[in-house]
Amino acid sequence: MIVTPRIFARLAAIALLAVLLQLSFFSRVELLGTSADILPIVVIALGLLGGSMSGAVAGFSIGLLVDCLLVAPLGGSSLVLLGAGYLAGLFRERFEIHSALLPPLLCMGLTLSAELGFAAVQLMLGVEAPISTLVVRDMLLKSIFAFFLAWPIYFGLRRFLRPALVEESKVSRRRQPTVLGT
Amino acid sequence: MYRKQVRRRRAVLTLLVIGSFLLLTITYGQGSGGLQRGVSTIFSPLQSVADRALKPARDLAGWFDKTFEARGENSRLEEALADARRKAVAGQEALQENAQMRKLLALDSGPVLAESGYEPVTARVIARSPTVWHSAVTVDVGSGDGVRVDDPVISGDGLVGLVASAQGGSAQVTLITDHTSAVSAKILPAGVQGVIRPEVGDPEDLVLDFIDSSRDVGGGQAVVTSGWRAQGLASLFPPGLPVGEVTTASIVEQAASQQVHLRPYADLANLDLVQVLTGGPRR
Repeated sequence: MIVTPRIFARLAAIALLAVLLQLSFFSRVELLGTSADILPIVVIALGLLGGSMSGAVAGFSIGLLVDCLLVAPLGGSSLVLLGAGYLAGLFRERFEIHSALLPPLLCMGLTLSAELGFAAVQLMLGVEAPISTLVVRDMLLKSIFAFFLAWPIYFGLRRFLRPALVEESKVSRRRQPTVLGT
Repeated sequence: MYRKQVRRRRAVLTLLVIGSFLLLTITYGQGSGGLQRGVSTIFSPLQSVADRALKPARDLAGWFDKTFEARGENSRLEEALADARRKAVAGQEALQENAQMRKLLALDSGPVLAESGYEPVTARVIARSPTVWHSAVTVDVGSGDGVRVDDPVISGDGLVGLVASAQGGSAQVTLITDHTSAVSAKILPAGVQGVIRPEVGDPEDLVLDFIDSSRDVGGGQAVVTSGWRAQGLASLFPPGLPVGEVTTASIVEQAASQQVHLRPYADLANLDLVQVLTGGPRR
């Protein structure tokens, strides 16, 4: 990803919008007893589009913003989301994304890992109350929601960040018609 | 060139991971720091706008979910209604008797809150935590409206939680379903006391521990805050706030006590308007 000041502003806007949407909408809409979490999806999508560095930095920043707004212990969400973003970016750097099904599947798998990561961080910090088995259902449902939400989010972000994407700009340059004799 | 890039990438990753752990170590258990308060203050107007703008979309999504849920709830509610009718008749009699007794004792017949000197401030929920591990909401009133840390928060149905942090125009409320929450409560009518703890991951279930196994506790009984006061210390919640309804009670053999499960009255997953009880007696 080529990060110019304009692209940086776009990335900041994406992070801000994602956090606001999550806290004011997705967290407050219950489906099948749980709510969707778009933050791992946005971070994973940014990792898949921009590489491991973009994914890790986006994950860290979004996690920090969420923890600040919810007055939760700082660093917990950052740690988990930066891991998810970094892994997504690493995948993009090592493998080709041939199929349109691959990003949603990756989002599903990595969201499940992120949810497990959240649980691990919380357990590490100490949970004083008993833990219901419904936590597992919550994690699985969140990752299934991630599969469906990844389609609009990944493809929407790819469109929004197209000028910054290395491969996309190469393709568009290649497709420009050649005018002979000039 | 490639190696340099890889090295730089690893360095940034290591820095971010160390940064996260450092932040966790520094801020865990310290309450809200200046950074968090500052960010919350800056973002609370934006969150308010987003909350209002997204309300129609939220209501629409909520309508679908509620419709599915309502089908299953119907039969349970019919049974509950029949039971409530029976209790209402008994309640009318009790009310009459209560009023007579109050007159006899020359007590103020005002509501619980008026008695305990709290001043309710109505607030709108503008944000909610995305994970079950941290059960909290943000409301659009703050220290500028008289809200202070540890103020109890209620909804029209019952107890919601406690203010964890307050800034100028917003405050963060830790819900009673958060794993750090503990509420001293009693079961009515017997007055059996215990401590309510949540069960992480299940917002519909709270657990009332430390109940003597010899005490008779049954489904449908109401649970309210006990509001204890002893040796200069007092509960953060005023007495008599409705919390929930007993669903099941099971005896823990090893501990010679029983564990009572209850369903909270307040719909904690769909909070919209709440009241922060400000200005009450402090510890």
